[in-house]
Amino acid sequence: MEHSGNFITFITEHLQQFFTYTAFANVTPGHIIMICIGLIFIYLAIAKEYEPMLLIPIGFGILVGNIAFMPGLKIGIYESGSVLNYLYFGVLQGIYPPLIFLGIGAMTDFSALISNPKLMLIGAAAQFGIFGAYAIALMLGFSPSEAGAIAIIGGADGPTAIFLSSKLAPDLMGAIAISAYSYMALVPVIQPPIMRLLTNGRERLIRMKPPRSVSKVEKILFPIIGMLLTTFIVPSGLPLLGMLFFGNLLKESGVTKRLADTAKGSLIDIVTILIGLTVGASTQATTFLTTKSVGIFALGAASFVIATTAGVLFVKIFNIFLKEGNKINPLIGNSGVSAVPDSARVSQVVGLEYDKTNHLLMHAMGPNVAGVIGSAVAAGILLGFLS
Amino acid sequence: MAKTKKAIRLSGVLATLVLLLLAGKSYSQSGIDLRINEILVVNDSNYVDDYGQRSGWIEIFNSAYNTVDIGGMYLTNDPTNPTKYRIPKGDPLTRIPSRNYLIFFADNRPTRGIQHLNFSFSDTNYIALYEVNGRTMIDAVKLGLQKSNVSFGRLKDGSSEWGYLEKTTPGANNFTGEVISSGEKFVAIDPYGVGMAVIAMSVVFSALLLLYVVFKNTKRIYSINLKELLSRKKAVADLPKPEPEEISGEVNAAIALAIHLYISELHDHEEAVLTIKKVARTYSPWSSKIYGLRNLPK
Repeated sequence: MEHSGNFITFITEHLQQFFTYTAFANVTPGHIIMICIGLIFIYLAIAKEYEPMLLIPIGFGILVGNIAFMPGLKIGIYESGSVLNYLYFGVLQGIYPPLIFLGIGAMTDFSALISNPKLMLIGAAAQFGIFGAYAIALMLGFSPSEAGAIAIIGGADGPTAIFLSSKLAPDLMGAIAISAYSYMALVPVIQPPIMRLLTNGRERLIRMKPPRSVSKVEKILFPIIGMLLTTFIVPSGLPLLGMLFFGNLLKESGVTKRLADTAKGSLIDIVTILIGLTVGASTQATTFLTTKSVGIFALGAASFVIATTAGVLFVKIFNIFLKEGNKINPLIGNSGVSAVPDSARVSQVVGLEYDKTNHLLMHAMGPNVAGVIGSAVAAGILLGFLS
Repeated sequence: MAKTKKAIRLSGVLATLVLLLLAGKSYSQSGIDLRINEILVVNDSNYVDDYGQRSGWIEIFNSAYNTVDIGGMYLTNDPTNPTKYRIPKGDPLTRIPSRNYLIFFADNRPTRGIQHLNFSFSDTNYIALYEVNGRTMIDAVKLGLQKSNVSFGRLKDGSSEWGYLEKTTPGANNFTGEVISSGEKFVAIDPYGVGMAVIAMSVVFSALLLLYVVFKNTKRIYSINLKELLSRKKAVADLPKPEPEEISGEVNAAIALAIHLYISELHDHEEAVLTIKKVARTYSPWSSKIYGLRNLPK
């Protein structure tokens, strides 16, 4: 009888002990909130098809990162020696973003930009969103490094945001990355009202000259000269710019098809999975749910609005100096933010609303890819000044 | 001729630009980045070595951004004998991590380990570090009158300014004042970020403007026929160029029809794709029928 009593106590004690290890015992309201956010991301990705390649890994990563556990079991992403911590190393040390840029370079056709190089300036103008957000972040009391890391959300470039925040403000990286990717997914929602507000009927109907054909030599020279010129000016952008242009040379050289295929195929897919999952998992409620994160989300939205506004207004001003026939449709001004190719697609969709035969996609791809270069250059400048 | 002159001028501008960009200070990352950083000659009540003894010491600083192995190099206090003390090779201690330090004790007791030198400060007031070849000097210091327990060193790690340090800092940063980050310095001058916006946007614009200028002229540059330029066969150049062949109406009609079909999406939706590529399937024992459970054992 005594033995059976002891056995029941033994079982009860161990069940209680087991319970302390379960997520039910450790869960907090913060974890529940974050799990809901993760589920919303997954819903948006599947039901609305908003950037599914990014939102599915990030959304699921948020679920993974917010399963509450007993610390010390080498499970959490912030615990040294855990599997997730090893995978997170690539984010912390800024390894994944340049690899993604390699893939982007290998899949990007810069012909639109080469055929009409003045579109590059729109890509530069849209970077104003970054520095507008930087000024607001300083006013809100963020430290200079934090302000720089948050501001890069305005570049609308996830890998660049992760790269810069890992160097300037590693503590805020989760919030910055989630904010950047969320707003990139919401580009079709954020940009059109601003574009409509800032343009008039006549401007929206501007027809641009068809781009000229670009020779193979020009396509090969672009990544070489582009890399040399931009990195000589901003060497701190080398990891991103170097890889971007290297990937593009693999594509355009025509003799490294296998390498280009790997860079734009398997490699970028693997890195996207790892970066998405680990960035999502880094949003552990205990470290993520702070007032700073709320501020980062607000600043991210502001930077996107400023960037889009700056891009559209720049085209309008630029048009004053251009001859009739060479004018640029201001509806491609939004694509200066580097959310490739979503913002260019927005230009096309909004353009077709006003003229069913005016296809702006090819023209918008120019500032769009220039935006990628511009945001990498801007990241290099912030890194140079603030690190 | 005017076109040629313009192209040459443009090439000249580009070449000058590249040269200007190339001009400037370069930074290497190797043994030559090691620096004698701090020295304490009279050690009465200061840093104690691993034997609990006090002696003069020399701090070496690795100013590079990578690990540098000091093994095989030489420390000396005699200008006529650069290879007086050879730092042994292969010891993990000799690998100085980036922006880190290694202390050597000038106690004339080399049997106590690799950090103990075979000379002391009583012999001379000169210290030098030589490369592995024993001929190339990396760094040298002449010491003046030294105070007890006050070290003489670079005011900031690796800098060229020397002086008596407020605190002795063996194995640590020589500058013990408050360190202000470059970001904080920037914000102190530019609290609203206006300066940052102006500078950074100028740089972004310049970078992309430069690309614009180059690619606006690239086609012109590479299409220059150098052979033609060198041989100056003007006659060939002056020949009237043949008119481009006019495209026939049938071809234009075919192109227009194709574009119309494409835009209106009137083409057939093809389910299958014909290919001449060989279909290769990767063999895997997991999918092999040989190992299927349905197979009867032989």
